[in-house]
Amino acid sequence: MSLIQGIHHYCIGLSYLCALLLELARLFWPGKGWRVAGLVFGAAGLFAHTAYLLFNQPSPAVPYGSLLLLAWVLALFYIYGTIHHAKQTWAVFVLPVVLGLIVASRVLFKTGPDSAAFDAAGWLTGDRFWASVHGVLILLTSVGVSVSFLASVMYLIQARRLRKKLAPVSALPMLSLERLETMNRRALNVAFPMLTVGLLVGTLLLPHGPSLGDNWLSVKVLSTAALWVVFLVLLYLRYGAHVPARRLALFSIAAFALLLVALVTAHPFAVGGAK
Amino acid sequence: MNLRAIGCNVESAAVELREKLAFDAAKTQKALAELNARFAAEAVVLGTCNRVEIYVSRAETVAPLHVPLMAEFLAEIHGLSASTIAPHLYEHADAAAAKHLFRVAAGLDSVVVGESQISGQVKEAYESALKLTATGPLLNTLFPAALRVSKRVRSETGIAQGHVSVASAAVDYVRQVFSTLTDKTVLVIGAGEMGRLALNHLTERHPAAVLVTNRSPERAAASAAECGGRAVPWEHLDDALVQADIVLSTTGAPEPIVTRRRFDDKVRRRRAGRTLLVFDMAVPRDFDPAIHDGDAVSVFNVDDLARVADERMAERRRHLPAAEQIVDAEVTKFVKEWNTRQDGPVIGQLNAEAEKIRDEILAALMTKMNGRLSAKERSEIEYAFRLFQSKLLHGPIAALKESSREGHSGGLREAIMKLFGLKG
Repeated sequence: MSLIQGIHHYCIGLSYLCALLLELARLFWPGKGWRVAGLVFGAAGLFAHTAYLLFNQPSPAVPYGSLLLLAWVLALFYIYGTIHHAKQTWAVFVLPVVLGLIVASRVLFKTGPDSAAFDAAGWLTGDRFWASVHGVLILLTSVGVSVSFLASVMYLIQARRLRKKLAPVSALPMLSLERLETMNRRALNVAFPMLTVGLLVGTLLLPHGPSLGDNWLSVKVLSTAALWVVFLVLLYLRYGAHVPARRLALFSIAAFALLLVALVTAHPFAVGGAK
Repeated sequence: MNLRAIGCNVESAAVELREKLAFDAAKTQKALAELNARFAAEAVVLGTCNRVEIYVSRAETVAPLHVPLMAEFLAEIHGLSASTIAPHLYEHADAAAAKHLFRVAAGLDSVVVGESQISGQVKEAYESALKLTATGPLLNTLFPAALRVSKRVRSETGIAQGHVSVASAAVDYVRQVFSTLTDKTVLVIGAGEMGRLALNHLTERHPAAVLVTNRSPERAAASAAECGGRAVPWEHLDDALVQADIVLSTTGAPEPIVTRRRFDDKVRRRRAGRTLLVFDMAVPRDFDPAIHDGDAVSVFNVDDLARVADERMAERRRHLPAAEQIVDAEVTKFVKEWNTRQDGPVIGQLNAEAEKIRDEILAALMTKMNGRLSAKERSEIEYAFRLFQSKLLHGPIAALKESSREGHSGGLREAIMKLFGLKG
């Protein structure tokens, strides 16, 4: 137990950082060893990350908790991608986002409105049930938006190569544009209904928060609402206006920026709610 | 090791001679049988379009096979004169022969550096010799090692990355854009050779449909029949362009057949933003390069593809030093392991022989000194004899091992066996 208690943001971050450095080394000196070593570090990071989440149970309602949970889901995505798409430079794109989220989580650890722990039993019963439904849906939306962001970044790089007529599959092997576009589309298609329902539940819960006026005008609520609007625009551009995928990728990146704003700002229900 | 790699390749012999020296199945069988019977040599014949090589190994006690003898042998097999063959043959001996094979298998000695076909040809040559029981302990170790080295070089360096022909560069672009072709339509405009080659590559990925169009309906029909596609009348080119995901264009038209205006007015809008890849392999060009936007429509002409192929080749060459390093390390390892394998029984026999003599002398001494020695004195004498033996043999064994490391322990091994009266 003391070993798990000793797990810190640094241990998790350093493991992922080593995995990233090994993956970068693979780009310059191709070889199976780098990937395997990178995966070992990545898996160690994921293990430490999981243990930390299980032991500390940070609340998804506070910035540090939500960022750490999102980083965990993306770390899973990284491990899956690295194994499933062995030849692609998957980790080089996913791990910086995971690391960024961990760093942000660390920065917001003390400065956030509270560092409340997630009380699983409490969140699943009584009047907090709907709040937990809201939290889970927003977290899943975050995963969708993050996946869409990663797919969009890779898409833009791949598309730039094509526009400049650079030699394909050179130093940075990536999935095809079609595959990245499909990944982006699916992530958004799945995330939008979840965001809609999550927002709806959150809207119904807002009047029960500590201060009604402040709740509606909080940055978190406004940025999440803006995210929903961006989603709507994205869906229209894709299915209604048939806008080229490159422009959709730019919108997806904007959606991720809004998501980050929503994640790092205080949740109306968490203000003053420290345990 | 008594190994020789003797042969000719694209650098040492003209294609006319290489053609005459080519081995078919019957000649291979005959050559291997003759080499076994006549020279007591284990052998493998490696014949590709760029090289004809024979790898031969004989017992260390007999003279190796050299170029003049092999030239005569090849002349006899192919019905040529030895004097026309000999000047074009090269010879690599022992470790250098192993290195040559490792380089060949890894594609480092190929015209197209890093080409993958050669490792399959090496494997095939070895397996066919193995089937004919023409190989022995050395070649049965050497060839599997060469195939391992080839795999290592390809996986640990970028030597085999990307395609290096113009037609396959087009396929690489396709892979960069589309994950599958099973729901895509390929449109072939014209009947140029380059387009046909690119189409061959693409059809390996099973496109949903292949449309072929040509100013001459007869030629369109013939080309469509050849590639299992559907002929489209030349007048319906715009409709075919709307339908297509990939276009291979190789007409001999003196002016562009698809101008930007024509494409924007009659094709672009009807495509609803779907991605189109155009490979304009015609000179003069068939498509106005201004159509390229790198997003919905990408147009690559023959210069773009040739540039990619050249870049690929340069990129492969960049990995040559790393690949050569792997080959060198593997050759050293192979030679050391082979020699150790050969030295092991000799060292074992040497030690056993010395132990036998030591035990006999000790036994005689102990009988003579019976009762006059304490247990401690007996053990000290035994220790002194053991020490003497190990110091005496240390020199020859160390020299043998050192010689093995350097890759030429054969002569010394023979000398030790003779000096100490060991049986082979």
